[in-house]
Amino acid sequence: MALDYHKCAEEIVRYVGGRENLISAAHCATRLRLVVADNSKINVKAVENVDGVKGTFSSNGQFQVIIGTGTVNKVYDEFLKITGMSAATKDDVKAAAAAKAPLWRRLLKVVGDVFVPILPAIVASGLMMGLVEALGHAIPGFSDTDWYNWLDMVANTAFAYLPVIVAVSAARVFGGNIFLGAVIGLLMIHSNLVNAWSVASYEGTIPTWHLLLFTVKRVGYQGHVIPVIIAVWLMSTVEKWLHKHVPEMIDLFVTPLCTVLVTAFLTFTIIGPIFSTAETYVLNFAQWLITVGFGIGAAAMGAIYPITVVMGLHHMYNVIEAGMLAEGGKNIWMPIASAANFAQFGACLAVGVKTHNAKRKAVAVPSSLSASLGITEPAIFGVNLRLFKPFVCGMIGGAVGAWFGSVSRIGASAYGVTGIPGYLTIDKPLQYTFLLLIAGGTAFVLTMISWKEAAEVADAPAAAAESAGQTASAPAESSQTVKEVVEDVPASLSKVIIKSSAGEICQPVDGTVIPYTKIPDPTFASGALGQGVGIEPKGEIIYAPCDGEISSVAESKHAIGITGANDQELLIHVGVDTVEMNGDGFEPLVKEGDHVHCGQPLLRYSLEKIKAAGHPDTVVVLLTNSDDYENVQYGEDLNR
Amino acid sequence: MKEFEYTITDPVGIHARPAGLLVKEVKAHADKVTITNADGKSADAKKLLALMGLGIRKGDTIKVTVEGDTEDGTADAVLKFLQENL
Repeated sequence: MALDYHKCAEEIVRYVGGRENLISAAHCATRLRLVVADNSKINVKAVENVDGVKGTFSSNGQFQVIIGTGTVNKVYDEFLKITGMSAATKDDVKAAAAAKAPLWRRLLKVVGDVFVPILPAIVASGLMMGLVEALGHAIPGFSDTDWYNWLDMVANTAFAYLPVIVAVSAARVFGGNIFLGAVIGLLMIHSNLVNAWSVASYEGTIPTWHLLLFTVKRVGYQGHVIPVIIAVWLMSTVEKWLHKHVPEMIDLFVTPLCTVLVTAFLTFTIIGPIFSTAETYVLNFAQWLITVGFGIGAAAMGAIYPITVVMGLHHMYNVIEAGMLAEGGKNIWMPIASAANFAQFGACLAVGVKTHNAKRKAVAVPSSLSASLGITEPAIFGVNLRLFKPFVCGMIGGAVGAWFGSVSRIGASAYGVTGIPGYLTIDKPLQYTFLLLIAGGTAFVLTMISWKEAAEVADAPAAAAESAGQTASAPAESSQTVKEVVEDVPASLSKVIIKSSAGEICQPVDGTVIPYTKIPDPTFASGALGQGVGIEPKGEIIYAPCDGEISSVAESKHAIGITGANDQELLIHVGVDTVEMNGDGFEPLVKEGDHVHCGQPLLRYSLEKIKAAGHPDTVVVLLTNSDDYENVQYGEDLNR
Repeated sequence: MKEFEYTITDPVGIHARPAGLLVKEVKAHADKVTITNADGKSADAKKLLALMGLGIRKGDTIKVTVEGDTEDGTADAVLKFLQENL
């Protein structure tokens, strides 16, 4: 075990084309994951010959160097020292790999990456806010009680201080220091600033600062998302640049100081004014838009409303609503907002209903509940916008609902609530019911029809479970790029399911392990094809359970044979009788003769299609020549 | 050495399960049994993965070669197995 980590890392750097050719580096349980600028500069043979390297392969824009558990992190540390790169999480590497996607997609992905980790906070807050506000309107006098006051405070905490949460998450995504990120977030809602939510009702003129040539309004960024993400992106960029250029001796105090100062200045003088100008325009535009007749204006507003939520401009709408009520009219803005919000609810619910991904379901269902109560941020940022199509379906639903609201001339007597709690303020409950049904229903149906999870790639099973504690990254969500294989090593690979005198075979896919005798097929269960296990799979990618050579890939793509160490002949057969599917729903990722490494993706398949074809989906893993070995054991997790 | 040809009639060909059964059958005999597919690629019939790698489908004619002390009996048994199962 005298591997020279430094030498190993040094040689890898040299053979992948040097520091200049490296974009980012991360590691997982067994591999260095590198994103390089130019793949042709990699000397694959030389890398594979480096002492300590067990193999390499390229996939999805990443060049992966297999080093091994317990060693890879040490090589990685040396690697960072040599290259001067900063530690990237796997997600960063994926982000860099995804950099070839179109810009708008990448931006959406960033917003999603920032939002997903913070969803628990805003879902909790969103649901509570919806309920508390509804109770406040429903029970006369409740809003004056201490309970209401206290509950309201608890409920709105995450939203009142949203910029801080967003900033911390964004700093992590952009690779900045998360504490500096928190400072930027706190700064943007500093108590010396006028709260963005109360700008509309602010008495007198809003105070300003005169900084150099800039006149800066002392207004906070409560409820904002995009300016915060931009500010933190800026911060991270400045910080990284300074780390590189400031001498190490003074780096510790110069870099944070300059980072905060520069970011703060640019945030208040450039980012802020751009957004407040945009807000004014949006507000004026919105006010004009809803006056366009025949409900057309309302429909248009219903469509673009969620976009303004994404921009963080929606809190300005209270001004419009307050204005309508002050002029003695009814609040006809509320039905539009309600339609837009409820449509996002419908779209999000459809995702929740349709998805097969347990994690996505767990996010989509509560998010949609929150949206039905009028708090749409979790649904929009956590689900719909990331998947994009549901978001668009929501826009269409919002437009239709808003149009109906406008032509049926309904309005509210107050402002602040939408969705289901909107019943408390609406003047025509029956029409309002139709409005919600139309908006939510349209979005729901459209999403059910147009959004297909199969078009994406399923998440790797239990991606988050990858190697305890090595990367504290957020669970990776799959992006929408069809070709991307999310290939985190599933947790199952740390479990040995077959063990004999010839070696160990790991579990190639997450799921429940059963002995071969319980496989729902008499031939497999008889042991005629060797001993082993069946797995009732939870994932849709089979990973190589050992190092070896692919000896056969069935014509019908549903079975793969691997010859492993000591001539172990391993058969991985996905589903029972799936030969009849003739390859439909199966996509081998390797071909005969390929040398594979433990953890490499071998075969992708669709559980849905196997189910549709009426076959059991049991993944059969058999050591077909188990007779040749001694002490053959099989079963769940033989490590123990 | 004994040789014979056989044309596969099983709709799915020598796929995992039938191949496994064939291997099991062949393993019961000490002789060396080699199967050659229409493309001239051959495999030891005691090795399941090699056998599957031949990609033998319905309608393919395979050549079976048996070598060993009991080759006559083994060849008959393999032919019988093929006729019954494939």
